[in-house]
This record gives sequence, structure tokens and C-alpha cells, in this order.
Amino acid sequence: MVPAAGLLGACGKSGKIRLALNWKPDPQFGGFYAADYRQHGLDVEIVPGGAGTPTVQMIGAGSAEFGIVSADEILLARTHGNDVVALFAVFQNSPQGIMAHASRKLESIGDLLKGGTLALQSGLPYARMLKKKYGFERVKVVPSPGGDLTAFLNDENFAQQCFVTGEPLQAKRRGVAVTVFPVSDIGYNPYTTVLAAGGELLRRNPEMARNMVAAVRQGWRNYLDSAATTNVKMHAMNPTMDAAIYAEVAEAQQVLIEANPLGRMTKERWDTLASQLKELGDIPQAPQADQCFRDL
Amino acid sequence: MKLRKVIPALIPFLVVTLALEWLVRAGWIKAFLVPPPSAVFQTMVHDWPELFGALAKTSTGALLGFALSAAGGIAIAVFLSSSRAIQDAFYPYAVFFQTVPVIAIAPLLVIWFGYGMRTVVASAFLVSIFPVIANTLTGILSTDPALRDLFRLYGASSAATLWKLRFPAALPQILTGLRIAGGLAVIGAIVGEFIGGQGLGSVVDIARTQQRTDKVFAAVLLASALGLALFGFINLLSWLALRRWHASEQS
Amino acid sequence: MTEVPTGTARGVAVRLNKIQRAFGELVVIDDLTLDIAAGEFLAILGPSGCGKSTLLRIIAGLNAPDGGTLRVNPADTKFQTAFVFQDAHLLPWRTVLENAALPLELMGVGRSERLARASRVLAEVGLREAEGRYPSQLSGGMRMRVSLARALVTEPRLLLLDEPFAALDEITRFRLDIRLRDLWLERGMTVIFVTHSITEAAFLADRAVVLTRRGRGIRLDRRLALPRVRSNELRLSPLLAGEMQMLLSAMEEEG
Repeated sequence: MVPAAGLLGACGKSGKIRLALNWKPDPQFGGFYAADYRQHGLDVEIVPGGAGTPTVQMIGAGSAEFGIVSADEILLARTHGNDVVALFAVFQNSPQGIMAHASRKLESIGDLLKGGTLALQSGLPYARMLKKKYGFERVKVVPSPGGDLTAFLNDENFAQQCFVTGEPLQAKRRGVAVTVFPVSDIGYNPYTTVLAAGGELLRRNPEMARNMVAAVRQGWRNYLDSAATTNVKMHAMNPTMDAAIYAEVAEAQQVLIEANPLGRMTKERWDTLASQLKELGDIPQAPQADQCFRDL
Repeated sequence: MKLRKVIPALIPFLVVTLALEWLVRAGWIKAFLVPPPSAVFQTMVHDWPELFGALAKTSTGALLGFALSAAGGIAIAVFLSSSRAIQDAFYPYAVFFQTVPVIAIAPLLVIWFGYGMRTVVASAFLVSIFPVIANTLTGILSTDPALRDLFRLYGASSAATLWKLRFPAALPQILTGLRIAGGLAVIGAIVGEFIGGQGLGSVVDIARTQQRTDKVFAAVLLASALGLALFGFINLLSWLALRRWHASEQS
Repeated sequence: MTEVPTGTARGVAVRLNKIQRAFGELVVIDDLTLDIAAGEFLAILGPSGCGKSTLLRIIAGLNAPDGGTLRVNPADTKFQTAFVFQDAHLLPWRTVLENAALPLELMGVGRSERLARASRVLAEVGLREAEGRYPSQLSGGMRMRVSLARALVTEPRLLLLDEPFAALDEITRFRLDIRLRDLWLERGMTVIFVTHSITEAAFLADRAVVLTRRGRGIRLDRRLALPRVRSNELRLSPLLAGEMQMLLSAMEEEG
């Protein structure tokens, strides 16, 4: 096998380490912004993202040393020959969910598929699991508006994909009571907001990776203990949510993140995810779990 | 139109395709970033029913949007040309069509037109109408003043002057506007499909989340083919309309 | 007064009284008074900027004078004026025949009648074979003939020409000069021909008016002592040279 050379160079200009986010600054990245990288001997530049930022490909192409991805993205990437490895999982339990107007009095996630409109990213594995389990015949499936609540607020029968810690709080703010169904209800619970790096980097510079994980772990500890200052920093970069919401979300997400140690991952969880994806037909075979993540 | 003209255009395409195939196989370019043409071709064949269905949907949306922007754009330009006062009052708002980022007003489009073909057509229309307005207006206003004098001398009404003189004289310019609008209509349709959920836009969006770059490229190639076909169609119209009298269609 | 020639059409008389015209600050025509007899062939001669083209456009009704009056006699016939520009200005998307028929079309004449009349006039200017061609397929001289035919198709009583042959080569110019003169003889219309060419003015007209720079009035108004029927031999005759001399002096005095 000819080792593939990256399209771009190793580190960014001036030797900075780039951490690419897959969304705008947001409490889900709180710990990364709260981390003191200098203290761990690292010069880190956090690069915010947005809708569709291809972080897993950026790692593979070398345009970022570290990136935030989800566990299922890592398994898909590895199938396509992109050697990406997970290092730290922020969300032990996935915040992915679907929210609906409370007035509909839906009781379980399956009820969402009995009528009305459902907006989600139908390419995502959880969406296809929903389809497989319940079928999409009776519901109108449309693309996810990516955080925009206009359609949701306008139509009582409109349900949409969300982070359980995010959009529901905003909807409540706008006067709409919501019921939230975490995707984990159907047994699909990949690690989310996972810090990952390329296998090549881990081989060449394991020390850097170790320091990075240590810094991030400390940063998340800081953020969980006290989110206020970091929230101010992030809010300045992303004012689309107001400061109060930042605080609410930071509070709400804690229960999904807390772990000992923070960011830990287990072989069992990876194996489960792999077999779920294999069943969906997304990957031809389940890779070795220890290829997918590293405990540093 | 002639085979001789098509072959020179195909050569760079073949060269790039072969080079790309070699570069990816040799490992110089990573397959998960840029798929080898062979993989794109395989996907094209394997997923043809799905891709063809998507292509049909996108074509419908783009063509309807284009037809609307052609008719609407020409009508608006004719209206704007009727007086200086009207032009000054309304033309700045026409420029709005040029500058509004469709992605930004996407949620509104969906609320007004719902999910599906109507949003796609609306998006294609919004994105492609301005070049038609601008080019048609320029064409109509650039009429030879001596010919306008001639029409005046024989007491032609402004309607007669418009239909017998200014509009035919503007035809080359109108066709230029349509050429530009065609490609934009395809882009607009695809953007509309990201939002409205069908067609090639939807294929690209879903394939992207599945990291199926081969499928993304296959869909993009089909979209380009659609744009080319539309461009070719307008070139044909241009040739038919102008071949006897305009320098642009005479060799 | 020249006798009004017999023919199928009779020309109109034009009276200009104290015509004033300015473009912004620039006074182009200042207090100009001129009588043109019916059926006359008048050449208006002058340097650039003397207002001769503007004067012609005022007579045509394309521009209005700022002051003074224009009277055309008789006034009742509609569309009696035709204008020939310096360039042919044909509609490129129409055939020669359709171009020649344009004025009739704009006046509401039915298709078969107007095409028949256009065909006749095209024959008169020597373009019968070119009827089905498009302007892009014609030479400059042929295009000008179409323009001339177009002007004549309504059987105008007043024909205005603004340096129509200036862009053509000499031989074509000579030919068209003679054709124009013959057409005038046949139809008896009033012709006003604007030019900056002394040769052309002398060769074509019965009467020549020389305008001064900046429209400060008429420097010379002269009846030309030349035969009624003109041919190319006249170009070499001392008669013509004599008339040209008079016009030249008038032009030169301006400097």
C-alpha cells in the first residue's frame, strides 16, 4: 500500500495547531474554549464551522490537525479510507433528538412518524434507523432547516431534528412548549462532539495528541464547574443565541457530558455502533474498535 | 452544432479525467476527498434509477423557473423601458433580485411555497431573473436613434415601435441574458432542492452526510450536464433567430 | 420661381421664419428665415456645426424650434415628408423588400399592397434582384438605395436628405447623384439636400444656400445656372466649375 500523502502540509502556517469545529461557537464546544492550551505547551487555533463543515475530511486532508466529529462519521470515514481516530468524547450520551409541539401530545418517538411533517437530515444513520423501524409512509419528511425555527414555530404539526439541549430551549423562549424525543430512545446512541485526529498525526507526534487531550479534559472540567466566562467569550463570536440561553444550555447539557474521566470511550459502545451501521448497510464490515479510538 | 466544434471541447475533459484517475490510484490524491472518475462512473451506473429520477425533478424545476424568469424578466424590462420615470422608480428594486442571497430567505420560501417543486421553481426563478431584466432593458434602450426617428416620422405608436423595432433590435442582447439565466436557473433549482428536499440537490445533500463523495460528484456532473443542455438549447434558439442578420451567428 | 414640373406628385412649399434653436448654451440656429418653393431642389451647404442637420430635422418635425415658425404648404396631406439619413439605417432582421415597405406598414397599409408598391420602388432604384436579401448581404451603396426606396415608397411631397452619400465611394456617389436627380424630375417633389460637399451641391441642386458657422444666418442664396437634366459630363464642364467657385468663395469667407 502506498502511503497516501496529504493534499496539504502538516501544521498550519506558523506551526499553529488547528481545531476545526463542526458548528458555530456554542455550549457544546464550551470545554474547548475554556481549555488552557498554552499551559500544556500547545498553540491552538479554534476554527469555528457552520452548516455542513466537513471536519472529518478536513482532518483527512490535513487542513486541520484536530476536528470535532461524531462517532458514526468516524466509522464512515474509516470505511472510505480516511484514517481518523477518536480521542475524547464530550457527549457520553447523544444530544441528538427530535422536537415536536407539546400540543400534539405525542408520547413516543414512533408517534412522530404517524403524521404531520418531520424535518431531519435523512442521510444520517439515525434517520435511516427510524425509517427502518417505523416507515415514512404516513409522515412527510423534509430537509432539516439547520437550527432555523421559522417553520417549526409556524406550523403546529412540524417536528424537527435538534440537539435536546438547544433548539427546544429557544422554542420555549418564543412561547412554544415542546416535547423532545432523544434519538437514544430507539437505542441509537453514538458518542457526539468527539475530538478526533488523523492516524498519521498520532503516529508521528503522540506527545502532542496526549497534551491536547489533557488540555481538553481540563478545559471541560473548568467549563462544567463554571461556564460563565467562557460563555461570554463564545457569545461574542456567535450572538445568534442570547446570553441567557447560553447559560441554560450549558446547564442542560451537563448530565449528558459528566463522566469519569471526562471524554472516556469504551470498546463496547464502539462495537455496538459499528454493528448498527453494518446493519444499516453503511459500512461493509465492522472495524476493530481499537482502530477507531485511542485512550490517551 | 458541428462535430468539429465538439471534439476540441472534449479533449481537456478526457485529459483531466484520465489524469485524475491516475492521481487517485497512485495515492497522490486521497479517494475520500476526490473520488476517482471510475468510482463516479460506477455509481452513476449503479444508482442510475435514483439519479435519473432526481435529474428529471431538477430539470423540471430548473426549466419551469427559467421559463418564468424569461417571460417575467422580459415583461418587466419592457415595462421599465416605457418611461424614464418608471425606470428610475423601479429598476433599483429589480437589482434586489440580483443581490438577495437565496439561502438567507430560504425559510421564507418554504413557508410561502411549501416543501417541494414550488419552492424549487421559486428559487430558480429568483436566482435567474435579473440577467434577463438587465440585458433585455439594455437591448431595448439601445435602439438606433435614427430608426426611432424614422418610426416617429411615420407616426408609429409606441406599441408599434416597441414590437417592430425595439424588441427585435434587442434580440441579441435578450438572448445573451437568457444564456446567463439558464445556468443560474439550474443553480437556483439545486439550492431550492437543498431547502425543499428533492432532485439532485437532495441527492447531493444526503450523499454528503453519508460521506459518499462519489455520489456527490455523480449528481454534480448531471447538474452540469443539465446546465450545458440548457445553454445549448438557447444557443440553438439564438442561431435560429439571428442567423440571417446578426454578426454573432454569422461566420 | 422654377416652374413646378409635371408628374404624379407635386411638392410642398416650405416657409421658415426667424427660426431659433439652441442646445443648452450653444445657439445652433439664430434668426433664420428661408422660403423654399414647391418642387424645388435645394442644397444646404455649410461647415460642420453650422446647424444644417438641425435645420433639416426641424423641417421634418423631429425637433421643435425654440423660436420662430415653420409653415408647410399645403398642410393637409399626412406623412408627406420622407427622410434619408447619412447611414442607411435598415432593420437588419428584415429583407430588403420588407425594409422598403416599412413606412407603408407603419401607416397601416395591407401586406400585399405594400409589398407590391415597395417592389416597384426598388425597381426604380435598380434593386429588383435584391428584394429577398438581408441588409448584411448588401454593399454600402445598395443599402443606401434601399434607404432611398424606403423614403420614396409613400410618394412623399417633401424629401429631406442629410448627407446621404457621404459614406460611399465616389463612383457609387456619382451613380446615386444621377438617380436622385432623375427621381426628382419624374416625381416633382420638393427636395432639400444637406451636404458639406461643394461638388455635390452644385451638381445636384437648382438652388444652393450656404449657412455660416454657428447658424448666424445665410451667407449665400443662389440660383444655379445649370441645365435641367444633369449627366456626368457636366462634372467636367466649366459651367459647373463656375458655380462651384461661387459656392467655394462663400464657404471660404467663413474661414
